[in-house]
Amino acid sequence: MKNIYKKILKTFIILSPLGIGGGLLLSCDKTVTEPIREAYIPAKLDENAGSWKPYILTSSSEVAVAAPKATTDAAYLKELDSLKNKIMPVLTPANKDAIAYWGAGAVYRWNEIARELAARYNIPPASNAEGKYPVPDAANPLADPRFPFANPPYTARMLAYLSVAQYDALVSAWNYKYKFNRKAPSKNDATISALLPVSDLPSYPSEDAVVAAASYTILVAMFPGEVPFLEAKLAEAKNARVWAGTNVPSDITAGDALGKAVAAKVMAKSRVDGMSASNNQTLVAGQIEAAKSRGIKDTWVSQEAPARPPMLPNYGAVATWNFDRKTLESIRPKMPYVVGSAEWQKEFEELEKINKSQTREQARIANYWADGAGSYTPPGHWTREAANLCHENKFSEVASARTQALVSTALMDAGIACWETKYYYYTPRPQQFGLKTSVGLPNFPSYTSGHSTFSAAAATVLGAVFPSKATEMNAKASEASNSRVYGLIHFRVDCEMGLTHGKKIGEYAIARGKADGSGY
Amino acid sequence: MFKLYQRRMKSLIKYALVGLVCVTSSVYAQMPHDVIYMPKKTACLALTYSNSSWKEYWENTLKRENLNIGTLTTQSVMPMVAVGLTDKLNVLVGLPYITTNASAGNLMGQKGIQDLSGWVKYQLAKNDKGFSIHGVLGASIPVGNYVPDFLPMSIGLQTKTATGRLIGNYTHKLGIYISAHGSYMLRSKIKVDRDAYQADNRVYNTNEVSVPNATDAAVRLGYIKDGSRIQAELFVENFTCVGGDNIRRNDMPFPTNNMTSTNVGFYGKYQPKNIGFNIRVAKVVNGINVGQATSFSLGLLYQLNQKVKK
Repeated sequence: MKNIYKKILKTFIILSPLGIGGGLLLSCDKTVTEPIREAYIPAKLDENAGSWKPYILTSSSEVAVAAPKATTDAAYLKELDSLKNKIMPVLTPANKDAIAYWGAGAVYRWNEIARELAARYNIPPASNAEGKYPVPDAANPLADPRFPFANPPYTARMLAYLSVAQYDALVSAWNYKYKFNRKAPSKNDATISALLPVSDLPSYPSEDAVVAAASYTILVAMFPGEVPFLEAKLAEAKNARVWAGTNVPSDITAGDALGKAVAAKVMAKSRVDGMSASNNQTLVAGQIEAAKSRGIKDTWVSQEAPARPPMLPNYGAVATWNFDRKTLESIRPKMPYVVGSAEWQKEFEELEKINKSQTREQARIANYWADGAGSYTPPGHWTREAANLCHENKFSEVASARTQALVSTALMDAGIACWETKYYYYTPRPQQFGLKTSVGLPNFPSYTSGHSTFSAAAATVLGAVFPSKATEMNAKASEASNSRVYGLIHFRVDCEMGLTHGKKIGEYAIARGKADGSGY
Repeated sequence: MFKLYQRRMKSLIKYALVGLVCVTSSVYAQMPHDVIYMPKKTACLALTYSNSSWKEYWENTLKRENLNIGTLTTQSVMPMVAVGLTDKLNVLVGLPYITTNASAGNLMGQKGIQDLSGWVKYQLAKNDKGFSIHGVLGASIPVGNYVPDFLPMSIGLQTKTATGRLIGNYTHKLGIYISAHGSYMLRSKIKVDRDAYQADNRVYNTNEVSVPNATDAAVRLGYIKDGSRIQAELFVENFTCVGGDNIRRNDMPFPTNNMTSTNVGFYGKYQPKNIGFNIRVAKVVNGINVGQATSFSLGLLYQLNQKVKK
């Protein structure tokens, strides 16, 4: 008997570190912790935002909104009664989850949804049996390859139109809010206790419905295979405000109509911005010849097998937001180092060293900023930064949309100007000289670095909107830029010139922001 | 209790290190999935080289090749020690060094020390007709700070694991045996360098990644002779994740993937004296979200039989 006890004890002693260790370390919980974004009362209501300058609309009253029923009107009182006695008493836990989710903010959530769609569609098409890469077809978006391929230029443009539509629609909404001045349900009926914080902002038309409808309209056009997903988001976004008791249905209906009408005007502008010709591969031969005539000896060659046509060779011709074509040409980075020159050799040696002995910290930085296939791309990374800063600073919906519009138009301008530079010089990637990469190799010319240009443009804008964050944002942009050297897919000059270029591009967005009447 | 544990650890180290001068008695070399035990106060060192390569893989259920990867080869060298605490209770510890390389494309090969794994194997029951049941508990912990989400180049997933395994065995007196096992492996969440990633068709805004748990099971049919001086077997093994998502069309794998594979192979061992070797060859015959790997390994075995002074 004693022996058995001894044995059991012995076994237990041996097994306990495994058991305890295993139990403590693993604790079967698979849920990952994501930041929680809660609702807030905006630090400022931005009462005069109806006079801020829109991007596409000529004025904030271009789209008409009918006057709401007075707060004494029987129809409005019926809406309040229904809110109080029919809708709010029967909320399900799912309804309450939706209220909390959308409570984080309409601009915040719709930007997050847009980033998620970008990530889901950011996959380069696979080659087919003939060794060709089929082009995604907008008319058949869910076939393989799916439409769109939401690469960085596509995503930058998508986010720009999304934010511009949100901003123009909200500037219009603010105009009507203060024109009609109908307060939120709980301000008109003290017995209604809303489930989200309620400010003094007039609630007709609903800013949340405006943003939802505008965003829906843009995103359905940008991601035509996602109509059911987006319809569900739109319906929930609108319902959540009623469930929360923060709006009556007539606030929502008016906001929905306004958002859709403004976004339709923004989409009309998008259709003539040159994007439809951005993948014109017939220009490539001429681009290569022109680059050679400028002194580029070795030109870029796709390193994929089979060779993949370069990404959007004519994206550089798409219409910019904050400066004109002449300016674009005047700020184009100067000629890069020619392959074989002493400067080029020095930069290549830096890369060779990393190729041989990349440090874990270099890998970490390269990975953190990679934002490659399957991610929301660098433009998504920076609108996420913007969304978080707006939230942390308790920005109103219209101030958040303004920030996102400034950032994302700068990002799209950065994409256009950078792509124009890339195809102007058509320079080779380090992989053409035998180096590997720890992040995946983009399929387009090297000079200048897209990450550097995007990051500097966005960081410059964010530093102007949030001056206390300027140093931090610039440091992030520098790190994003360095990450492409550490990941071995750019020469240092690509990154340094990209940063300088991006900063200039960001400054044009800031100039636009200073003149928009917001006072920010 | 803790002192007892410390003492036990000290003698473990003694078993492993002091017993380098050996007096031959019985010879065994064992694995966490077999029913062979080191006798009390003996130990075996093994140094195993493994090579696994695939050209085709399953992207979700689509079998394909990737001209920008070519053939992906993973090589490892693993020192391992097995110690007999009693005749029915053994401990095994191993730590591999791994390298990966793609024959085509631009992806940088990875290399480094991977995860320290430890196993405790206990004979739960045995009768005189050749039937036996064994319990195995295992755990592993990452040692190297390698990148886990640069798949398929990464050398590991950075998960901490804990495994429970039950082995049933029948050995006929002529030496023919059949054995089967089933295991459940808990795998911890991991942290990646990025702070957003896509899985389950959504974006997670965090650097924490949930890696699915897994099961593994195998059936082995073989022949064993002279107290395992000679051993040969054929096996079928299956590894299945409990949940997880699939590789998206033309995307790369990710640690959240539901990786599933069925392997068939041969294992043989020859250890006439203290020194011996083993060999293992296997091929993946079916899978999801994994490469169709062909693998082989060669192990050099060294038996330690020093009686440790009390």
